[in-house]
Amino acid sequence: MSDRLDLPQGTLDLLILKALSLQPMHGWAISERLHQVSRATLQVPQGSLYPALHRLERKGWIKSRWGESDNNRKAKYYELTRAGRAQLAAETEAWERLTAAVSLVLDMG
Amino acid sequence: MHRLWSELRFRLRALFARSAMERELDAELRDHLERETEKLVRSGLSRAEAERRARASFGAVGGIKDDARDARGLVWLETAVQDIRYALRGLRTRQSFAVGIIAALGLGVGANAAMFGIVDRLLFRPPAFLRNADLVHRVYQHRRSELEVSTDRNFAFPVYLHVQQLTRSFDRVAAFRTIPRAVGEGQGTREVQVTMASAEYFDLFDVRPVLGRFFDASDVRGPDGAPVVVLGHAYWQTEFGGRTDVIGEQIRVDRTLCTIIGVAPEGFVGVSDQGVPALYMPITTYAFAMRGAQYRSFYGWSWLEMVARRRPEVSVGAAQADLTEAFRQSWRLRDASEPGWGSVDDTQPRGELGPIQLNRGPLAGPEAMVALWVSGVGVIVLLVACANVANLLLTRAISRQREIAVRLALGVSRGRLVRQLLTENLVLAVLGGALGVALGHWGAMTLGALFLPDDVPAEVMTDGRTLVVAAVATLAAAIVTGLAPAIQAGRTDLATTFRTGVREGTTPRSRLRTALLVFQAALSVVLLIGAGLFVRSLHNVRSYRLGYDVEPVLFAWANPRGTELTPAERVAVVERMLETARAVPGVTHAALAASVPFFSIEGRGLEVPGVDSVSRRGHFILQAASPDYFATLGTRIVRGRAFDDRDAANAPPVVVVSEGMARALWPGRDPLGQCIRILYGPAGSGDGSPCTTVIGVAEEARVRSLADPRDFVYYVPLAQYPDPPDGQVFARVTGDPASRMADLRRALQDIMPGAAYVKVFRLSQLVDPNLRAWKFGATVFVAFGGLALALAAIGLYSLIAYNVAQRRHELGVRMALGASAGQVMRLVIVRGVWLAGTGVAIGVAIAFLAAPQLASALFRATPRDPVVFGTVALLLIAVAVVASLVPALRASRVAPHTALRTD
Repeated sequence: MSDRLDLPQGTLDLLILKALSLQPMHGWAISERLHQVSRATLQVPQGSLYPALHRLERKGWIKSRWGESDNNRKAKYYELTRAGRAQLAAETEAWERLTAAVSLVLDMG
Repeated sequence: MHRLWSELRFRLRALFARSAMERELDAELRDHLERETEKLVRSGLSRAEAERRARASFGAVGGIKDDARDARGLVWLETAVQDIRYALRGLRTRQSFAVGIIAALGLGVGANAAMFGIVDRLLFRPPAFLRNADLVHRVYQHRRSELEVSTDRNFAFPVYLHVQQLTRSFDRVAAFRTIPRAVGEGQGTREVQVTMASAEYFDLFDVRPVLGRFFDASDVRGPDGAPVVVLGHAYWQTEFGGRTDVIGEQIRVDRTLCTIIGVAPEGFVGVSDQGVPALYMPITTYAFAMRGAQYRSFYGWSWLEMVARRRPEVSVGAAQADLTEAFRQSWRLRDASEPGWGSVDDTQPRGELGPIQLNRGPLAGPEAMVALWVSGVGVIVLLVACANVANLLLTRAISRQREIAVRLALGVSRGRLVRQLLTENLVLAVLGGALGVALGHWGAMTLGALFLPDDVPAEVMTDGRTLVVAAVATLAAAIVTGLAPAIQAGRTDLATTFRTGVREGTTPRSRLRTALLVFQAALSVVLLIGAGLFVRSLHNVRSYRLGYDVEPVLFAWANPRGTELTPAERVAVVERMLETARAVPGVTHAALAASVPFFSIEGRGLEVPGVDSVSRRGHFILQAASPDYFATLGTRIVRGRAFDDRDAANAPPVVVVSEGMARALWPGRDPLGQCIRILYGPAGSGDGSPCTTVIGVAEEARVRSLADPRDFVYYVPLAQYPDPPDGQVFARVTGDPASRMADLRRALQDIMPGAAYVKVFRLSQLVDPNLRAWKFGATVFVAFGGLALALAAIGLYSLIAYNVAQRRHELGVRMALGASAGQVMRLVIVRGVWLAGTGVAIGVAIAFLAAPQLASALFRATPRDPVVFGTVALLLIAVAVVASLVPALRASRVAPHTALRTD
């Protein structure tokens, strides 16, 4: 357990946006993707994904539609809107600046 | 822009397509769980184990749904709707609980709404349409006499002119008077309220006539004034059917034929405290009709009230100084033209500018003071109701502890839970508040009709101010009563609740409930003691011997209505009235009299040989009456004799004095045979008056105020009274006085000359308005005290019953160990009585400290009356015993084995 990290506040939105920037996905797939890509390091509570998705949809950064998935199952797919892309760019930049700044500080000694 | 639109669309969908979204959310979460389960099955777990792990790693579904809903942004509106639905459903299943709370809140809020309606009317609300109410003052005059400093708000016409001419601080000084006048012709003649007003009167208001115009300076100018009237809106509606062509029509007011020039708008009643005026006419028109042109310089007729609007730049103090200077100058002018009333330095007239509301001024009636007390009582009732409601809610919270724990375990957030509980309270409060407004409306109407001066009670009770007060009271009650249980619920400790069941962990709540109950009992005691004091007061007033009988006496009054009669004709008319009244069946005695208690009082200067400054010793009230007077009114002669037919006009003048007057004038001496001189002529001519010999002493009589011990009445034979008699007849009747009234009126009306007409009152109709304040206090205190007692009794019952239910186990053990049913009952009852006793002790202490404040509102009752205190304490203990009895019986029937086996 100790090699897993809880997500810093507010980064879940960024990760969701990033995941969705590659292709439209349904909720479980997003959670799987985050799990795999972070090599199981990031601890995303599965349940907390959905309130975040709904929040992002309300803000107009992602939109949802029901579609067919593998073996004819219906699933709710989320995809990025144009505003979502702009938001992702902005948040990515902000994140990079933040981490760079934090690294600088940590490197000073 | 885009974001806003997306948000709006989303929210609208959230709101209106609620169930569809809800289904989607379910489907989505189910999909997730299935996929996760499949993944785990593929990795080799059993189906059941896979499902369990999927759920575990997902978290509580209910909570996530809530969060998702919140994230969608339907937070307050939708959850509120949901909470309200939930609350209503919950209340429907617990009807008696809901009814109890709604009733308690309704009564509490209703009591306050009703009292506010009345207090607002008496003390706070300025007259409708009044412009700049804080600049408009009633004018009072304080004046020193030998006996006291007296305060007046009625002025003679020349004084009004002086104030207008001699002051600089006011931009308007208006004079007015509202009195009943005979209006109409022949059989259609009715007495209606008429406001005589100066031209400035209407300028004080932001008001336009709905038809025609108001009268102005040109109508009021000149000694005789213009014969014009403005109709009041209600009178226009009822008597003229709201016709728009009434302007120019004529209407007779007393003898004067007046032209209608306008109609006042709805709701306009002027400054009047004397009921809704039917008509407005110029003061000069009325004054000239009554007294001719002499009214302009005659000081003896103080009939006008004054209202002045201060210039905004002048302070109240400066304006009062200005007014005082005008009053002093006016007095000098009076002293010059009508000497004999004392110099300016003797009388020291001083002006006061009071608030426009009469009951906040120096001449406030007892109603205002009692109403203030009673509105405090309203607040206490609300507190008691709140305590009761809080208690019920706590009981409910305890019985719901498991439900709440289960819901928390299912993942409902605590915040949401608290919100839901508060919503439930709010629903209860709104229902209670609605009931309260209805009750308050009804209460204010009833109380107002009974106790307010004949005024505008009906329409004022439904206005926004009262509704706002009701709403605030409701909301405050909801929050105060709902918070404690909600906080408790938010704190529920799951583990303890599930482990131990409901019995444990309830002690702090139980303590809170006990405190609430003691608080309720204490407040009830305070109210009931207040009620007891007022009831005693009322009883004292009622049983107070006024010095004459009230119930069997009728009073008939002939209004000559301008029929001109010579003094000889007047004598003939009143003699015939007396004969006619005597002949009416059921009338045993009848008498003519110059003074009528609480209606019209005569007075003359007195000189008594050997006694200085007679007027410093009391108010001496003159009664001139025909010989049967004492038998008619039932006034007892204590010593000597009453006058009779021997004491004719040419016989030696005689007088009967009251006991108090005899003591005040001749202390320690025999009053019989003493001489007084009654100054019938102008002041200062006493030497010429003959000696009037005291032939009898009558019991003390109260004819001017109920309580003033320095009011003394003296009686002279009407035959020896120089002024021509008024048509005032007393009749003592047997049987039902109300049914004799019509007979008497009919008989007297038949002999009236010209347009004169007769009004008949029961003497009690004249006396009763003076009891109004005490009746009001007693009624409201008793009603509210009873209410509080009932609420406290219910609270006590439910607490004891609840305790018994909680202690079933323990009681079962006790009985299993050999306690008798009687011992168990005693255990329960002692607890109830102990609770009530604590409340009683606190309440009695509060009442003991507060009671002296009430003294001025009581009539001859000791504020710390031990009988009242003792009765109330016993009553409350008795109620506690009764309230504990049913649960005690139930406790005594606890079967030990069931109690032990079931829990």
